[in-house]
Amino acid sequence: MLLALLISGLALGSIYALLGLSLVLVNKATDVVNFAQGEMAMFGAFIALSMMVSMKLPLMLVFVLAFPIGMLMGALIERIMIRPIRNAPHLNLLIVTIGLWFAFNSLAGLIWGYDPYRFPSLLPSEPVDVFGTRVFPASLGVIGIAIVIMAGLYYFFEHTREGTAMRAASMNPRSARLMGIKVTRVAMLSWALSSGLGTVSAMLIAPITFLDQQMMVPVVLKAFAGAILGGFSSLPGAVLGGVILGLSETLLGAYVSNAFKEAFAFLLIIAVLMIKPTGVLGRTARKKV
Amino acid sequence: MKSVRKDRLLAAVAMGVALVAPAFVGPYGHYVLAIILIYGLVALSLNIVTGVGGQISIGHAGFWAIGAYTCAILVTKVGLPFLLCVALGGAVAAVFGLIVALPALRVQGHYLAIATLGLALVVQQVLYEWTSLTGGRGGMFVPRPQILGYEFLDDGPYYYVILAITVFFTWVTVNYRKSLTGLGLGALRMSAIAAQCSGVGRTYHIITAFVLSAFMTGVSGALYGHLIGQLSTDSFTLTVSLSFLTMVVVGGLNSVAGALLGGVFLAYAPELMRELKDAQMIVYGGTLVLFMHFLPGGLASIPERILDLARARR
Repeated sequence: MLLALLISGLALGSIYALLGLSLVLVNKATDVVNFAQGEMAMFGAFIALSMMVSMKLPLMLVFVLAFPIGMLMGALIERIMIRPIRNAPHLNLLIVTIGLWFAFNSLAGLIWGYDPYRFPSLLPSEPVDVFGTRVFPASLGVIGIAIVIMAGLYYFFEHTREGTAMRAASMNPRSARLMGIKVTRVAMLSWALSSGLGTVSAMLIAPITFLDQQMMVPVVLKAFAGAILGGFSSLPGAVLGGVILGLSETLLGAYVSNAFKEAFAFLLIIAVLMIKPTGVLGRTARKKV
Repeated sequence: MKSVRKDRLLAAVAMGVALVAPAFVGPYGHYVLAIILIYGLVALSLNIVTGVGGQISIGHAGFWAIGAYTCAILVTKVGLPFLLCVALGGAVAAVFGLIVALPALRVQGHYLAIATLGLALVVQQVLYEWTSLTGGRGGMFVPRPQILGYEFLDDGPYYYVILAITVFFTWVTVNYRKSLTGLGLGALRMSAIAAQCSGVGRTYHIITAFVLSAFMTGVSGALYGHLIGQLSTDSFTLTVSLSFLTMVVVGGLNSVAGALLGGVFLAYAPELMRELKDAQMIVYGGTLVLFMHFLPGGLASIPERILDLARARR
């Protein structure tokens, strides 16, 4: 029982972690909290489903294609919606992402309707017996995919030219520009990357929640909670926060109360901000005046 | 000094229009006029938090719901007088405003937006689950408002009650913006560091702004419940929070006149977009994006913009 719960909690947590990563990525690069992240991800998952149904593509191929499709979407949004007003007050950018959130949400309802769709899972969702506990192969698949993606991201940021440039630009945009890094390009790339990540995470959660236009609203709130728990400025922190949240939510739902499971994320946000606002792995931002 | 006189003139004209308007419209018109004022109150409250304070709230539907349900429950189950319940509705909303604002003090950035989003979702869920108190999905019935034994059966007379309350809070908002507290909050928005170095305390300013704003929204919610006579959780969704935000952005974030103008917009928008049905959200979302790109000051900034253009041409 406990092992099965731990595995499904870990699977849920890795989905939160992926989405949390995408939120932190955009925030680090462009200083914007992207409220539209969840809805863009949902939109991407719908596009993937349409490709699967209308073009009869196999699920595996769609998963591989989802990342670039998500990236394209993110890059376009950055170029059209964010870049023209990047020097406006922060508040304006935030309002734009909130506007995009609802526009995407409503657009998806308009195109694909409001009924939930069944989204196929990569691995079978019937439990198999492993050492006397019932384990869902689908959960293991989610964890595996998340680990692969995170390892890829780690390699990208630590060992490639482009990734190093992105880290430099987020640390200090002005000196990065003096070193010949195109900061606007970095911004676009981070929007693209995070949108790709989001799309994949939406496709991972869709077999569990069904795919519909409202599915990402609670999920993105939890990704926020996880990212805040991790400090909102640290990529490993976002992963850790997401996993902790997924695990504690699953255990809480099983042993305490299922009805108010949703409220838990919100209480966690408040508690973390009250007690340790920098999160588990976040660092206090120091500003030079 | 000239602009003060102009503002007074504008206020007097608006007041005159508001006083005589009910004479020219039917019962449905009275209802729409009352809705304009109720939305206008919410817009004023967002004007303080977002316009002056630069903090985003995506959860004002939560405070609105808390005000509406508190007032309705106190009137129907406890039997307190209507006006007292309206004030208490605001007070309970203000307490929740305090709870949400507290964590935001610890950090810079836009955590308040996330915290308010969480609040709105939790409030909606609690209203859903706590059936014995709120009627759950079925909603609850709210009687017509009563003051000193007089029952306001029609929306026309009730409109004047709402008008009086709205005028009072407009006066409060205008004075708040001119007060040291309001100016300090504006300074914090422009540069938190510079303001804090000049002795403007972040804690005090953000908390007062949020509590005042939640109070006004709670009062508006209480008035709303008694206007429509029935409460259901559908009236307080995230969509409603978004339409509130759209309203202040369209009217003009940093102007009291803009806030009231936003109320007019939100009252009429559903009428204009009835054909669009579910696509309304695209319009709200798109409106936010377009205004931020092309008219960040909202409708209230149009006269100023025209003046600027004329000056530039000369």
